[in-house]
Amino acid sequence: MAAWKIVKALAPAVLVMLAGGWIGHAGAVPSYARQTGQECIACHVSFPELTPYGRYFKLTGYTIGKTSFSSEGMNYLPLAMMAQASVTNTRNNNTTDPNTGETVSVNQRNNGIVFCCASIFLASKVNDYIGGFVQWTYNHLATTADGTLGGHSGIDNTDLRIIGKYSGEGAAEPDLIFGATLHNNPTVQDVWNSTPAFGFPYTTSPLASTPAAATLIDGGLAQQVAGLGGYVFWKKTLYGEVSFYKTADGAFSILRQGQDIHTDGGVAALKGYNPYWRFAYSQDWGANSIMVGTYGMVVDRYPSNLDTSTPTDRFRDVAIDAQYQYITDPHTFTAQITYIDEKQSYNASFPVTAATGAGIGAGPTPANPTDKLHTLKAKATYYHDRKYGGTLAYFSTTGSADSGLYGMDPNGNAMKPDSSGYIIELDYLPIQNIRLMFQYIAFNKFNGASTNFDGNGRNARDNNTAFLNVWVAF
Amino acid sequence: MNHKHVALVAMLLVGAVTAVGAQNNPAEIQKAAEEKAVNLCSTCHGPRGISTSPEFPILAAQRKGYLEAQIDAFRKKARAEKDAHDFMWGIAGNLDDAIIGGIAAYYASQPPARGRSDDPALVAKGKELFDKGLPERGIPACMACHGEDAAGIADFPRLAGQHAKYVGKQLNYIQTLVRAAPVMHGIVKDLTPAEIQAVAIYVQSK
Repeated sequence: MAAWKIVKALAPAVLVMLAGGWIGHAGAVPSYARQTGQECIACHVSFPELTPYGRYFKLTGYTIGKTSFSSEGMNYLPLAMMAQASVTNTRNNNTTDPNTGETVSVNQRNNGIVFCCASIFLASKVNDYIGGFVQWTYNHLATTADGTLGGHSGIDNTDLRIIGKYSGEGAAEPDLIFGATLHNNPTVQDVWNSTPAFGFPYTTSPLASTPAAATLIDGGLAQQVAGLGGYVFWKKTLYGEVSFYKTADGAFSILRQGQDIHTDGGVAALKGYNPYWRFAYSQDWGANSIMVGTYGMVVDRYPSNLDTSTPTDRFRDVAIDAQYQYITDPHTFTAQITYIDEKQSYNASFPVTAATGAGIGAGPTPANPTDKLHTLKAKATYYHDRKYGGTLAYFSTTGSADSGLYGMDPNGNAMKPDSSGYIIELDYLPIQNIRLMFQYIAFNKFNGASTNFDGNGRNARDNNTAFLNVWVAF
Repeated sequence: MNHKHVALVAMLLVGAVTAVGAQNNPAEIQKAAEEKAVNLCSTCHGPRGISTSPEFPILAAQRKGYLEAQIDAFRKKARAEKDAHDFMWGIAGNLDDAIIGGIAAYYASQPPARGRSDDPALVAKGKELFDKGLPERGIPACMACHGEDAAGIADFPRLAGQHAKYVGKQLNYIQTLVRAAPVMHGIVKDLTPAEIQAVAIYVQSK
């Protein structure tokens, strides 16, 4: 029923786009398709998961195809748009307000149709060596200062590249692809979908409760930092990259445009240039493609983004990951897994918290000088004819007990950040520009416990979420 | 947004015009074509035109005239099967006649793929059909045009070593008129799926 409501809500817009010839043929799909003249499936198993050719397209700086403008005039408009509308159902939407004892809603728009967000992309090849994309997103369901939901827009994922290729005399393939990338989200520049920025789940409910703890590399710095890196891909087999991340201020402030930089607890402030590495072994054979790799970063972060005169806390993330793809017509099977180990050294926050009982500004208030956080994510996807898809995923977060960060349980013990569960997702793409999705996220643990995780009797499974989503790109 | 921001965005918006110098010298044309083959075509069609994925045809040792005609058909959107539409229209649309000729010459001069088969019975059945056709049903021998060893003749394509899945798919497209090939359609229109599979497996084994 809810799905039908979404379809009805979006139908007029889709019809208008079809009538306008904006979608449904190669000349009118998002801007990279217009640039290359190729269909989405050339580069994507299903957006945003990349095929081997899609990885090559990204590593070569989005430079395959035509420039948007040439001496003959405009070849195509280097803009694309996408929008999403959805319905979210939280299994138990009632919870007890700890202050008033009243029953309140967890999800303010439970079972209602919501327009979530829309993005505009500026995406194009600039010349044979330069290309990139900038995404700007309007979020209709952003949390405002008073806790209600409201509209907000700001920059989203961005990746600009300069590339080169080297082939020795008589080479059959490029011996070396190399390049530099300027971006604003660690791993957004990566070409394998086992890393966080473009890892599964690709879309989740904008309204559902989500676990509190996540590693810093897993979205903790997204659209807040400037990343500048260099990479090489040798004989399409060995990939190596080193990038450095700094606070996106000064000339780089456009990379966090629209984000909250004036409130304590707003976007991250980092000390100096923080290193990131990525190494991977990749091999394609037959219809198969495999990758095993490692990535990670070391970040020195000011506890308060408004006070850079203090010492910093250090976050050290080390991850391993792997991906397998089998891509044929009509069967496509893909699987990704990643494990992230994070060591949090509260060199700045712990001494202050221990001495005063409060952190530095709105920074963390750890009870331990160091903590650990581990996350495991794995998923497997099958698509038939790139139209009908099913995905099964597992996720787990575990870590040190820390009463300062995660509170105390009813027995007076420090709580852990542990959350775990699985995701089932079904997708249907009537055409490549439209994806209808049903997703169910089930929690075994949520914020440290299976039962009564909030001290008010709420259980992990109460946060189980059913999510119907319509995604349109043109 | 200050002037630095404007410059950053303008880099993408304006799009530097890539004025590739006209290449008139045949050696330069061939070099540019081979760069295209090495840096772009190889991504799907494999090094020296020997793809490992059966979804993408092997181009190594293919007949030059046939390759030119097919790339031109992609460019003109005359070959309209799904794979051609999804992958090749855009690629071929950016190529001019000289580069197409150079790419075709490059692949025509590459060593052929080795034959592969693990089903001797099916290979034997396919060979029978390939060598002799089915006279009782008026289906001529494939070898008449594609050569005794399936290496192709003149502009008739090489089939030897080609992925069986690709050959089977194309025969289906031709049977159903999705791929326009009037002469071939008349020849293969009555082949059964089992016969198509046999002949596809046979040519892959060559």
